[in-house]
Amino acid sequence: MIVARTLRVAGYDEHEIVEAGNGIQALESVAEAPPDVVLCDWNMPEMSGLELLTALRSAGWTVPFGFVTSEASPQMREAAMAAGAMFLIAKPFTAQDFQDALDPMLA
Amino acid sequence: MTYIPSADDLEVITREVWTSFLDGDPSGLVPRDSDNTTDDKVTGCVHLSGAYTGAIMLQCSPPAARDAAAALFSVSPDDVTPAEVVDAMGEIANMVGGNVKSMLPGPSTLSLPSVIHGRLSLPGSQVVREVTLAWRTQPLTVSLWRQAS
Repeated sequence: MIVARTLRVAGYDEHEIVEAGNGIQALESVAEAPPDVVLCDWNMPEMSGLELLTALRSAGWTVPFGFVTSEASPQMREAAMAAGAMFLIAKPFTAQDFQDALDPMLA
Repeated sequence: MTYIPSADDLEVITREVWTSFLDGDPSGLVPRDSDNTTDDKVTGCVHLSGAYTGAIMLQCSPPAARDAAAALFSVSPDDVTPAEVVDAMGEIANMVGGNVKSMLPGPSTLSLPSVIHGRLSLPGSQVVREVTLAWRTQPLTVSLWRQAS
């Protein structure tokens, strides 16, 4: 909910936000209606965010993917980028953090 | 020598989370003595396992937890549901815990948050750092636990 609220504050209120409760639901959701971008937590039920990204890429999905997570160690950023993530936004974040990451794709 | 985040570190992280998401006023959180009351509590907790095994716990009164959920989700305190209180306390514990984890020796894994209405004790673990602040006159305690090796 705080991500959705921050997206509105950042000016993306005209975009539809589809939420998935876990990684498996996210896989199904991407297959059903590929989004402009996937924002994903690192720790999730069923599968981790990194596992979801790997599964998407293995299935051939090239949808832009970024992490929004409370952890942001250099090792995690490295692992995220190596797996194909475009950005990692650390909590606590600001609307500007989302604009910096998303404007190149959505603006 | 392994660095363990100090009580000041816990306070800085908590203030950052609070200022970003719950209360734009940095003076909204004020130092106070430890909360030794036996009042009812809501507790959010994330566990760490790996190079550092323990937990980060956030504990406050039910009214403070309700107000935190209202602030986090931009709704009226009167409209906050019990599920939103659980979501908010879990999210705040996750944010504080993730930032504390980044200061601890790694690699470690951070669990999904758990939230209970009450106090939580972790047998076999002890508090190594703790800070108590007051938010809207209500005590808010953040603690770092370590499992005995």
